[in-house]
Amino acid sequence: MSGGKLNNRRRMSQALSRVANASVVETLKNQKELPEETLYRIGITGAPGSGKSTIISNLVSKRVDNGSRAAVVAIDPSSPLTKGSILGDRIRMDTVSNNPNVFIRSIPSRRSHDGLADNTADLLWEMEGYEFDEVILETVGVGQAEYSVRALVDTVILVLLPESGDAVQAMKSGILEMADIYVINKSDLPGAELIAAEINEIVSRNTYSSDEWKPCVLSTSNKTLESFNLLNNAINEHREWRMKSIDKASEQRSRVRYQVQSLMNRRVEELLEIMPLKEFDGHPKEVYEKLMKKLLIK
Amino acid sequence: MSLEGKRILIAKPGLDGHDVGAKVIALALRDAGADVIYTGLRKSPDYIARVAVDEDVDAVGLSMLSGSHNEIVSETLLQLKELDASDIKIFVGGTIPKDDHAGLIAAGVSGIYTSDMAITDVLKEIELELRNA
Repeated sequence: MSGGKLNNRRRMSQALSRVANASVVETLKNQKELPEETLYRIGITGAPGSGKSTIISNLVSKRVDNGSRAAVVAIDPSSPLTKGSILGDRIRMDTVSNNPNVFIRSIPSRRSHDGLADNTADLLWEMEGYEFDEVILETVGVGQAEYSVRALVDTVILVLLPESGDAVQAMKSGILEMADIYVINKSDLPGAELIAAEINEIVSRNTYSSDEWKPCVLSTSNKTLESFNLLNNAINEHREWRMKSIDKASEQRSRVRYQVQSLMNRRVEELLEIMPLKEFDGHPKEVYEKLMKKLLIK
Repeated sequence: MSLEGKRILIAKPGLDGHDVGAKVIALALRDAGADVIYTGLRKSPDYIARVAVDEDVDAVGLSMLSGSHNEIVSETLLQLKELDASDIKIFVGGTIPKDDHAGLIAAGVSGIYTSDMAITDVLKEIELELRNA
């Protein structure tokens, strides 16, 4: 990644594209051995416009301050009609986009509807061999039900806005139960304290034993850049807690489970896309059987 | 025809701060199926080349109204070459005097699209250029 290794950067970049663009069959053919240890992964999720990219920009500039290297994967939605996308997260990462120790890859969500993109699991896997110290994953702007990011990363950060009171009500049984760190962003706006109190109340309703992680609630604002120090510290604390407490085998299991599920979902979509329209004439049972047969063909 | 699966970087080098044209072409490319990355204003050629490599794009569109297109284009091509990325195509858009077109093409630019062209024609030409890639 240093100046002298720029050719490697191009090779890495092209390798990532190959993984991102691979069909299910190609993906399975090219998968390597399961890595014994994976890079530390931070996932940032939250509603559209909540400031995920800006937070990543401020956060990553602190995390690479000591010379370490970070990779950012930022996902934006694909148009279901034209398949095209505007991948705009990078513009808001100005603080770090010029830092050669930071690698940013923008990817479209394609067929995925779970806040991530096609092949996200394999893409993160591919990031392993390139001397990064950690990976930051930014999801598509999400509502309440898209919490797949939980399965793929070590630390989940949910970004909320001061005016998102109603959204919080709707999220109670969903993404709101999945985060390790809650961030009220743009906390200089009115309503920030109220929403922080509300989240704190939801978090405190659960009881945590001494070996469990109690999610923390923080406020950040672009106007007080020190607020990102607190977030940075909270991430480090969570990371330390994980090292002592996480059962790696069960975590590996849930990652593999997600990966298999997303490959299977996509294989079904691939097959449905090429199925001639007339094959949908008939009872759902028959169509289902037809699809099952196609799935079994290697 | 479609640009589905193609990655295109729209870049604003130089000092002019007018990016309406860049945004119009970015949206048109998206509607033609491309994945479009926009750099934002006032980026240097070495920054643009590095983003082109990191994002592994098929083409870079340089939007320029400042009159310094000859210098910016040759510097961007040079930076791409240093990164082993001369295969990434360069398109140029904006205010480019006719007299400069031949020189830019000779330098390695794959297409020049001025504001008097219909956007559908621009898309058609880009699709043709990238289809052979």
